[in-house]
Amino acid sequence: MRILMIEDDVTTADYASRGLIESGHSCDVLGNGADGLFQATRESYDVIIADRMLPGLDGLSMVRALRAAGIKTPVLFLSALGGINDRVEGLESGADDYLTKPFAFAELLARVNALARRPPVQAIKTKLQVGDLELDLILRVARRAGQLIDLLPKEFILLRVLMQAEGRVMTRTMLLERVWDFHFDPKTSVVETHISRLRAKIDKPFEAALLHTVKGVGYSVHAPR
Amino acid sequence: MRPADLLRRTSFRFVITMALFVLAALLLAGAVGYGLMHAQLTARQDARVTEIFASLEQTMLADDAQDLIEVVTARIAASPDHASVYLLKSASGQVLVGNIPDFTAKPGWSMADATQLGIVTDYPYRLFTGIVGAFSLTVGLSDGDLDDLRELVAAALGWAALAVLVAAIGVGWVLAHRMQHRLDRVDAALHLVAQGDLAARLPSTGQGDDLDRITQSINAALERLADVVTAMHTVSTDIAHDLRTPLNRLRIRIETASQKAGTGQSVVDDLAAAMAEGDQINETFTALLRIAQIEAADRRTQFQAVNLTALLQNLVALYAPVAEDAGMTLVAVNAPDAQIDGDPDLITQMLANLIENSIRHCPPGSMIECGLVQRAAQVVVRVADTGPGIPLAERSAVLRRLYRLERSRTTDGAGLGLSMVKAIVDLHHAALTLGDATQGAHVGLAVEIAFPRSL
Repeated sequence: MRILMIEDDVTTADYASRGLIESGHSCDVLGNGADGLFQATRESYDVIIADRMLPGLDGLSMVRALRAAGIKTPVLFLSALGGINDRVEGLESGADDYLTKPFAFAELLARVNALARRPPVQAIKTKLQVGDLELDLILRVARRAGQLIDLLPKEFILLRVLMQAEGRVMTRTMLLERVWDFHFDPKTSVVETHISRLRAKIDKPFEAALLHTVKGVGYSVHAPR
Repeated sequence: MRPADLLRRTSFRFVITMALFVLAALLLAGAVGYGLMHAQLTARQDARVTEIFASLEQTMLADDAQDLIEVVTARIAASPDHASVYLLKSASGQVLVGNIPDFTAKPGWSMADATQLGIVTDYPYRLFTGIVGAFSLTVGLSDGDLDDLRELVAAALGWAALAVLVAAIGVGWVLAHRMQHRLDRVDAALHLVAQGDLAARLPSTGQGDDLDRITQSINAALERLADVVTAMHTVSTDIAHDLRTPLNRLRIRIETASQKAGTGQSVVDDLAAAMAEGDQINETFTALLRIAQIEAADRRTQFQAVNLTALLQNLVALYAPVAEDAGMTLVAVNAPDAQIDGDPDLITQMLANLIENSIRHCPPGSMIECGLVQRAAQVVVRVADTGPGIPLAERSAVLRRLYRLERSRTTDGAGLGLSMVKAIVDLHHAALTLGDATQGAHVGLAVEIAFPRSL
């Protein structure tokens, strides 16, 4: 994947770009907003990672300018502004995701992966399948090996989010945001508990596990490899 | 006070402006009064002229002018100072008798001054000319009374205006002086505040006038400012105190790791511990910032209708398995359809904090109940558990930032959960009560939050 990172803090930029390159992506790094805007309009990227407070042109204005220019490349804001309204403001400017500093690299990578492979609107499927596990989004039923699985409403959404990201890792925070609409960090093991309940329903009675824990990062649903 | 200085005083300008208005009103009233009086006197004078003319007309019998001439002559003799004038002319225009030289007055009413009449007086005359038999008779009266009146009115108005102006400047000066004295004291107090003395208060006269009310408002604002500054000071001290300990631990971890690395030992565990320590510091910091933001109350603009029942049921569904895994029971009871105005994200976080507090502080086997009660003007959310509760003496303290019950000092958590709850409660103008949850002989903690019901 081609990634453009616009970040003026050299340590953060080095750390993140090194990690992205090690994960097999290519990454261009620029240190100010105006250069970033120019580069983003000149060449095509899969994902743009931008700091919110940049010299030259601030992140919000840069993203607005990009969107006004018709460039739809997914943008992830990386920001020390973790305030309640800051996230909303960032997303309203046209960014697709928001990550507050300090962050773990695994979290950044998972979010970048999720952004890059977002399906185009027309291609949204009504039926998801991973291995022998099927999820019908219209009838709202789950089956594995033809066997009906009884899911609670939130379990259904959790499974849907994981299956839509098939093969990719969803972090704990991403699940909290996407399944429960929680934008704060609970002090109890909410995600772990619900994952283990879901696992008991979709994996336990069957031979092969589909829902995998990626240690220290999050969870991923994929067919046995 | 210098004159130029005086002009800049609001109170002085006000009095002078008022005086000018009074003056204008006085002049207007004088003009109207004079006009009315003038009309009245003119009418009276005309009546006298008419009367004289009529009495002369009656002395004229047949065509004999002799009587008329005699009467006119007698009247002329009675008015040596030309207070009244008479002129009797024959049809051919010859002057028969009169105390003015020949003068051609147009028939009916007219005015003429002394020079026109060829006599020496100071006044204009009101004349009436008519035909008596074959003669033309002009009768006139001097306008002297009216002229005196005019002078009198002008003098009266002038003196009154002078008196008003002098009084206005005098009163204005005194008022400006007194007001300036009060304002100087306010200014001095505000100067102290600007220099950082937040304990300074503006002097109040206790008269309850407008300046006094403003003084009281400013004092109230100063009071609040002082509170906020004190609170901020407390928080920064708290932060310094409570973040230093973990920062120190972090430093020790890193130092240990670098020593170990020097001797070639594995430092993986130390680094993991250091990272966890860093995360904990970040979490405390984030929570403190969030509370500060909520307290700054810039989120009321995002209020919307919130269905508390649905929200609570979702949270219970989310946390019930967590409680179950910890050996507890979490249930929702009495949940009618309750709507309030609020910020759904913050209310979610608030209730999540309360439920998590119960889960973390209760022993296995405990029961946690979340309930909703609708009262007249309130919707009350209640989270009650059968855990250890909070001692009465510590109940107000736990709402403070970074406070943890002594016995839980050793457990993790920054002690910000309940102060965040308090901040969210305050933002919603709701009321928070920490009470007892009596369950048989056991007393647990019951947290009640009363929201004003949405309109």
